[in-house]
Amino acid sequence: MIRYILKRAVSILLTFVTVSVIVFLMMHAVPGGPFDGNDMPVSKEVRDKLMASLGLDKPLYVQYFKYMWGVFHFDFGVPFQSPGETVLQLLARAWPPSLILGGLGVVIGATIGILLGIAAALRRNSWIDYIASTLATLGLTIPVFVISMMLILMFAVFLGWLPAKGWDKPNSWYLPIAAYAMIPMATYARYTRSAMLDVLNKPFVTVLRAKGLSERRIIFQHVLRNAALPMVAVFLPMFIGTATGSIFVEAMFRVPGLGAYFVSSITLRDYPLEMALILMITMMFCLAYLLTDIVYALLNPRIRFGGKS
Amino acid sequence: MTQATPRQHGPLYFAWRRFAANKAAVVSGLVLMILVLMAIFAPLLTKTNYDEQKFLTDAYAMPSSTYWFGVDDLGRDFFSRIVYGSRISLTIGFSSALFSVLIGIPLGAAAGYYGGAVDWAVMRLIELFSVVPSLLAAMLLGALTGGGFFTIVLVAALFGWVQVCLLVRAQVKAVREKEFIRAAQALGASPGYIIWRHLIPNSVSPIIVGFVLAIPLAMMLEASLSFLGIGVPPPLPSWGQMINVGMNFMYFYWHLAVFPTAALAITVLAITLFGDGLRDALDPTLKGR
Amino acid sequence: MMQTALELRNLSKTYHIRAGGGLFPAVNTLHAVRGVSLILPRNKILGLVGESGSGKSTTGLMALRLLEPTGGQILVGGADITGLDHKALKPFRRKMQVVFQDSYSALDPMMTLAQIVAEPLHIHGLGSAREQTDQALDWLVRVGLDRSYGSRYPHELSGGQRQRVAIARALILRPDVLVADEPTSALDVSVKAQIINLLQDLQAEMGLSILFISHDLSVVRSLTDSVAVMLAGRIVEQAPTEAIFADPQHIYTRSLLDAIPALNPKDRQRRSFISPAQIEAGTPRYSAAALGIPPSDVPGLVQVSPDHLVEAVVTP
Repeated sequence: MIRYILKRAVSILLTFVTVSVIVFLMMHAVPGGPFDGNDMPVSKEVRDKLMASLGLDKPLYVQYFKYMWGVFHFDFGVPFQSPGETVLQLLARAWPPSLILGGLGVVIGATIGILLGIAAALRRNSWIDYIASTLATLGLTIPVFVISMMLILMFAVFLGWLPAKGWDKPNSWYLPIAAYAMIPMATYARYTRSAMLDVLNKPFVTVLRAKGLSERRIIFQHVLRNAALPMVAVFLPMFIGTATGSIFVEAMFRVPGLGAYFVSSITLRDYPLEMALILMITMMFCLAYLLTDIVYALLNPRIRFGGKS
Repeated sequence: MTQATPRQHGPLYFAWRRFAANKAAVVSGLVLMILVLMAIFAPLLTKTNYDEQKFLTDAYAMPSSTYWFGVDDLGRDFFSRIVYGSRISLTIGFSSALFSVLIGIPLGAAAGYYGGAVDWAVMRLIELFSVVPSLLAAMLLGALTGGGFFTIVLVAALFGWVQVCLLVRAQVKAVREKEFIRAAQALGASPGYIIWRHLIPNSVSPIIVGFVLAIPLAMMLEASLSFLGIGVPPPLPSWGQMINVGMNFMYFYWHLAVFPTAALAITVLAITLFGDGLRDALDPTLKGR
Repeated sequence: MMQTALELRNLSKTYHIRAGGGLFPAVNTLHAVRGVSLILPRNKILGLVGESGSGKSTTGLMALRLLEPTGGQILVGGADITGLDHKALKPFRRKMQVVFQDSYSALDPMMTLAQIVAEPLHIHGLGSAREQTDQALDWLVRVGLDRSYGSRYPHELSGGQRQRVAIARALILRPDVLVADEPTSALDVSVKAQIINLLQDLQAEMGLSILFISHDLSVVRSLTDSVAVMLAGRIVEQAPTEAIFADPQHIYTRSLLDAIPALNPKDRQRRSFISPAQIEAGTPRYSAAALGIPPSDVPGLVQVSPDHLVEAVVTP
């Protein structure tokens, strides 16, 4: 078990380092720097000086190690787009909106999704089953920004109930939270349903019924516990989908969160911010990956005791 | 001694029967067919090309009998742009899916057949691609290279092959244990021959399914990038980019937001449901993957 | 002078199995086959019998070089093929073919029967595509099917028919040696007899040498010329078929023969139970003490009569 977790951790750390190297090289290998554009006309000497002061004139691998050394001390540099603060300060400012909206969206979406999935599995081919599978298909296939657009058109433009954008007023939170909730809801509605059906069809459930156990106890004590395993496994794709979707949700609803800064860092070629955001996101995904593996192993006696992955 | 048994129905017949019983998939297939025909015969259906600013005086006109979907902010017939938009979306979807399959089949087959170190290397590669979200990487690549049609196709294929590869790998692993593979080895067949003549033909179902399911992924990627302004460059009519433009006018000229949103949603949904139906029909054991 | 079609010399196969978790898992060694030596004379049928897990199929696969042996040698027609690479092995592949137990998984479901039977010719580049198909259709007739079956797919056939196709594919290259790995165990009794007859006929016509792997002693009795009995990866007794059935020497052979159901109700009797421990102990008559040799010098097999070999045991 410990050996398994160690193995996974090493493998994921390797992935993280690989990603950081690739992203770093990619960003520096492509022609064009922050001072090349016409909107910032500077003379060659000034530009060289600027490049030197930012360390952009050194060989790439030196820049990489210098950068990673800084990262271990939480020094991500200064964002080009707002030189008055450090990247860390900017991120600290951008975290709360994403965390609040995204967190609420995931919690609400996953809860509704799981409940829908259970209901759909227990009442197969009823109206609730159809609603659950329709919602799941919509949420998993249609891009987040299209869903956001639909929500805006419906509730802001045509019905006029809610504001389409903003972050200050609490009633402007409803639509982005709903948009955030779509992917977790769809994922969990679909996988809870299929995991439940899988378990419900196992012979041991028939045995429990034959033993005269009440249906409620069968579902809550036995079926759900066994269905939890595949539900843990889909956490990672759900998390990645939601986090990626945040870029679009925040762009659509004009929320000043991480996603919005990700877009501006890319369009403005803001290396320090871009690199910091990508490293953070990759780190987050790697941790989620590892966490999924550990929880999966803890829940699965075959891995827990077998020792073989 | 052995009587000739009456010919039975082939596996394709049963696959078709299963597919035909799935109403959502059949309807999606029809919608998909209409979309493809629309893309092919776009010039016959529309009165102007997608970039002709013929109706500047009628800019922002609402849908009417003259302009079915209205006119956009630059005086272009919006129906023409939506119809031509299907060309962009479908071309990118199909060509990316094709490249995904071309990358995914050999890697999946090699990983499944050889196992061991080859399998380990391919699985680490897949892990790398599953930790890096395709959309973020695509945004980065798109921004660095300035976007464009071929960049998007390549980026979509770069991330689309993973699913094809996993499907083919699983199938090859299962088929590899069959005794006809041992029989071919006993005949002196080379690994290349066995993969090409036995393992890949026996993996057509997952390959077709992987191909069809890679299409909507690429379409979503294109629309998302174009929405952010780093995808297909204007004036090429991309639905994602039209949604972005439409957002600015949605309170006054709703048609500029509604039609591209609907077109994108319907297309992606139709292909996904068609692909799901195909998967369930071709290989019921893959259901729910 | 009897010619040898296939000879196995001291063949063995060892697996290393990692057991349990932890940072340093224990590695268990499993001897699937230990030091098997066999001679299959030309134009004869040799039965290799034993219970499942005795290593008889592993031996067959190693003889075909489908599984790499850990030790020992494989000789085909007197030539050592043990270390040959893929290319050097190819001419020998023509001389040695195989029929498996599961006829369903032995035929590629995506190919027509004509393609399946013609595949060996295709792989070895013999004749034009048309000639290959023609020869394949002839072989379908030869194994008792019809030329019209050429365009059919395996799933349209019954188990017995599929096994006929597998036999046609194995014999179209006119090999010297056929390894038949339980070819009849998955078939109904009536079909089983037909396949046995077919194999017998073809063996006589083509002068085949067959290594017949089976756990079905009644089939072995009716088909083979001699028999080797395997137990836990080694051969414990080897003799002409009549001698094995008339005068079994090893205690394990006797327990196997004892398990054959009697057809005549009058012959029915309580079967004597022979425990695994008894079997592992071997036949006391051939212990080192009884043979009068020191335990360190005990040979693998000792001769009982000119053709009859039995394993000697070390323990007294």
